[in-house]
Amino acid sequence: MARMRWSTSHTRPYTLRQRRRGRERIQALEQQVAELRAQLATQWVQAQPTPGTRLDTLLTLCSALLVTHDLPAILQLVVQQAKALFVGASGVLLFLSDTTGQMLELRATSAGTLPPMRVYPGQSTAGRAFLAPRAMLMAGPELALALDEQQPAQYAELSNLLTHWPPVSALLAPLRLESQRLGSLVIYGGSRAQPFVPRDLPFVQALADMVAIAIVDVEERNRTTQLASQLTQTQTNYAEIQARLDTAQAQLLQSAKLAAVGELAASVAHEINNPLYAARNSLYVVEQDLAADAPERAFIAVAQAELGRIARIITRMRDFYRPTRTELEPTCLNEVLRATIELVHTHLRHGHVTIQHELDAQLPQIVAHADQLRQVFLNLMLNACDAMPTGGVLTIRSTNEPGDASAASIVAIQISDTGSGIDPEHLPHIFEPFYTTKAQGTGLGLAISAHIINQHGGCIAVASTLGQGSTFTIHLPFTPPPTVVLSMYSTLS
Amino acid sequence: MHTSHILIVDNDPMAALVTQHGLQRMLNQTAAIEIAPSPDVAQDRCQHEQIDLLIIDPSSESSAETALLKEIHRTHPEIAVMVLTAYDTPRLRSQMRSLGVQYYLAKPVELHDLGESVRLVVSSRAHSSPNV
Repeated sequence: MARMRWSTSHTRPYTLRQRRRGRERIQALEQQVAELRAQLATQWVQAQPTPGTRLDTLLTLCSALLVTHDLPAILQLVVQQAKALFVGASGVLLFLSDTTGQMLELRATSAGTLPPMRVYPGQSTAGRAFLAPRAMLMAGPELALALDEQQPAQYAELSNLLTHWPPVSALLAPLRLESQRLGSLVIYGGSRAQPFVPRDLPFVQALADMVAIAIVDVEERNRTTQLASQLTQTQTNYAEIQARLDTAQAQLLQSAKLAAVGELAASVAHEINNPLYAARNSLYVVEQDLAADAPERAFIAVAQAELGRIARIITRMRDFYRPTRTELEPTCLNEVLRATIELVHTHLRHGHVTIQHELDAQLPQIVAHADQLRQVFLNLMLNACDAMPTGGVLTIRSTNEPGDASAASIVAIQISDTGSGIDPEHLPHIFEPFYTTKAQGTGLGLAISAHIINQHGGCIAVASTLGQGSTFTIHLPFTPPPTVVLSMYSTLS
Repeated sequence: MHTSHILIVDNDPMAALVTQHGLQRMLNQTAAIEIAPSPDVAQDRCQHEQIDLLIIDPSSESSAETALLKEIHRTHPEIAVMVLTAYDTPRLRSQMRSLGVQYYLAKPVELHDLGESVRLVVSSRAHSSPNV
């Protein structure tokens, strides 16, 4: 501004020239004032964001919302951008409806703090925005009246959230998507020099619509995630149930097979009993007539022993479905193993099978049915021999596995061969009755073996590698569980 | 010396023969052991002769041997009955028990054990009333 000097001397009247200069100065000052006003108007217009700038801001916000899936982060981003979008805003508040739609809760503010603030639909600015069909501008007494509807405590909280108090205008917008009301957005204006104007409404409505879409998107994502989790859980449950069903079906099939085996075994046993009875006792009659030193006695003894063995086998076949009455007794497994090895020694030697045995000398006696266990060991050893048609090594181990506080002591028997191994597809089925890979096999040997071991309260397992051999491992408790003993002692009375 | 009369009913002739021969050797003159070729013949002999012990193999609950057992139990309860069966099952045992059978052995019992059992039965019947 040009510097002006006023004459204060009244000693002489102004001359015409002076008057003219004075008018010229006044004109210059008036021109300067007009220029200043023009500059002020230009600066105001420049301070207001242009529609293009606002659209850019909205698009940027839209992009940010697209990649943000955290609801609190979205809401905070929106209130911050809203304050930047509307010059003169002294604070932005965003409310969301609860699940019932009967209460609005403050969820984000441009101040960053989040005091507890709840309003009913229709109450105060936020509640009116919630029910409004579209964005609206509120100012003057109407705004003051709406603010007065706040609870005193909330009124105080609101004053703390705004940079200028009281607000002179407010932009209110519902957060809606189709017919679903989600919440409301309230932007307070604090400067009389920069009041909100109606042309702000499309932008605040656009902002509110974007927020609504983002909120619904997050809710849908959360719901999708929840449904996916439930689906995964359902699939897991289904898999578990299916596995149980498969197991139950397998057990049912196993039971059916065992029943069939039992009936067949009983039928065969009954048919054999008569000729066995006749043969065995015919020998007894013949033996009575022989002299005490007759050489034939040795052979009759062999025949008697073998017929006795047949009798035991027949009895065991019936035991396959019916518990035996034979007494359990303390049994030395090493002795049973040695006796069985002795039994198959010749057979193995002819098959060029070498026997190695590592029997634990400290192996304690267990309560068991020696004949039945011998049958199991015999069956496994003969199977091992069959798996080594060109010879190999049969290894038999017994070990004592002392228990601890959580497990009882057990003994373990391992029978390993270096034979052809078992195809993985057969492994799950080899203990099932009638399942065999041998051309002349009955499919009963391993099933009966597993049954006998189970009857002793133990378990049998197999590990096999094709081309390298198989190892059958039997675990037996020192004493069968009481229920097993009862079963094995069970009489028919 | 009292001679016990023992009748064998068994649908397996070889088994019946061995039973008869073996028991006869074991019991010597104390028993006369014979084989009935069929349940009908056995029933007829039980009605008209003195039979102390009937050794019988009922193959099933519906067999002719079982029918004979029922009839003997009804008409001649004084005749001791010993079941010697190749068809030992819980069901058969239960049924024989319900028919009053007290002596039950399952094949292939050893002849020596069978002989001892028969000796006890006939001995008890020679000295007292029926033990069934």
